[in-house]
Amino acid sequence: MTLKTISLSAHPRLALGLLLLPFGAALPSCVSVKAYQKVYLNDEDMKLASKTVETPETNFESYREGAGGANGGKVGGGCGCN
Amino acid sequence: MKKLLLPLLALSALATPALAQTGTTQNPNRIDGYGAPVSPSVPVSRAADETTIDIIGGYYQQTGSHGAVEGGRGTQQLTDVPPAIIVNVPLDTVSRLSVNVGADFYASASTDRIDFALSTPSAHDVRIHGDFGYSREQKAKGTIWGVGTGVSKEYDYLSFNVAGSFAKTSQDGNRQLSLAGQVFFDQVTLITPIELREPGNGRGKSQYGTDTRQTYNFTATYSQVLTKRLQAAISTELVSQNGLLSTPFHRVYFRDNPAQNTVPTLSDNFIPRFPTAARIENLPRARFKYPVSLRLNYYASDLVQIRGFYRFYNDNFGVVAHTFELELPVKITPFFVAYPFYRYHTQTAAKYFAPFAQHSINDTYYTSDYDLAALSANKVGLGLRYSPVYGIGRFHVPGKNAQGLPRVMRFKSLDVRYANYQQTGSSIYLAADRADLKANIISFDLGFAL
Repeated sequence: MTLKTISLSAHPRLALGLLLLPFGAALPSCVSVKAYQKVYLNDEDMKLASKTVETPETNFESYREGAGGANGGKVGGGCGCN
Repeated sequence: MKKLLLPLLALSALATPALAQTGTTQNPNRIDGYGAPVSPSVPVSRAADETTIDIIGGYYQQTGSHGAVEGGRGTQQLTDVPPAIIVNVPLDTVSRLSVNVGADFYASASTDRIDFALSTPSAHDVRIHGDFGYSREQKAKGTIWGVGTGVSKEYDYLSFNVAGSFAKTSQDGNRQLSLAGQVFFDQVTLITPIELREPGNGRGKSQYGTDTRQTYNFTATYSQVLTKRLQAAISTELVSQNGLLSTPFHRVYFRDNPAQNTVPTLSDNFIPRFPTAARIENLPRARFKYPVSLRLNYYASDLVQIRGFYRFYNDNFGVVAHTFELELPVKITPFFVAYPFYRYHTQTAAKYFAPFAQHSINDTYYTSDYDLAALSANKVGLGLRYSPVYGIGRFHVPGKNAQGLPRVMRFKSLDVRYANYQQTGSSIYLAADRADLKANIISFDLGFAL
């Protein structure tokens, strides 16, 4: 019996599924959360945005890859690196 | 430890009522010279009446063997130092001014090959950028609108932009819709490879022509609190670009070009590089991009959180891409966080891309720029953040506050991260033609409050 290795690059849907698995397990329903119940959501690491310190990385990724945008980074324009 | 954590977390929640929102700051500040704040939201971790200053810096270094200047081969060695300062100033209780200025100091061995007049050290340039934004909040309506403008300049590129944004938060703070538009007006100086210049066109900047590029983008972000521990945001950013989208100093070599290289005016010889002549990269003058992203953050425990990101990208050049990111912040102490992260990106090639000397002269559009090649990329790294409640340090600055007391600047946080990035070319190419770019980057954010 041979042991096959699975490449995530060849299976992007599998990778997406693995990424979403912990969230799916934690998603009973969409509930109304009161302001005083947001102690966890207000944590610095729960911000729905890239960290400011990530910006140089986001920039070089948009230069070195053909895709960009929808993440707060460059989408074209503003520099000679199209 | 848990007994200590819970009261501290509860205290922080009481102390920051402004945080009782979804906290969406999808584009808190495009601090890279690509525009003013696209989302006008106040960053959730900062008090609304506080002036904040972030000093950003880092060092980026890359290597590779498929430089676009030499038609898809040759060095991609590049270093960049990108310092920037972001200042957010409250003008009153409802309006804020943001300023971000910065520069890119870069040295590129690749751009040295435009004229093959190789220099040591490699060619270098500076890009400077500045962006200014104003936002105003209508607290009763839960809305924030903002406007902004910016400029960036480098030797062969000049760009202006204007931006406008609007955000509406639900009354319970569990949902937010953010809309933003931005337009760039760019001017490109047409510096071409030396052997492709018109006779008599030497090296003076005034002798080159110019072309223009316009970029219009529209961003819509919807965020939603799902549970007490889970929130999500879905975002799209529609982009339309017109004008010169190719780079005038990128060469393309053809497998079937009968034209021979001309001997340049400098004492270099192009024939050993490739026997037939290159042309300047040529791409369509219109491009449409359609990225859609999903962000999910889950507070798994007081020790660890899970931050996930996925993006699907498509454009009319034929590039289809998937990007996944996963970050796991681990609270070693309540104020010291280590966050390992991993990013995976895969993309198909643009239909106008071919490796070195594989285009035909019958092609209408052609490029050998490996940014548009089929590739996958892995990035892995570690970040460290230290942000004690009372700050890391305090010092006096000139001036007095509203109470007539000396103003005190607080050094509130330090964020440092390192990432290693590697591209792997698709197996549809020969081994020698596959992307092989490697990069390392270290960056930091020093956070101050006044």
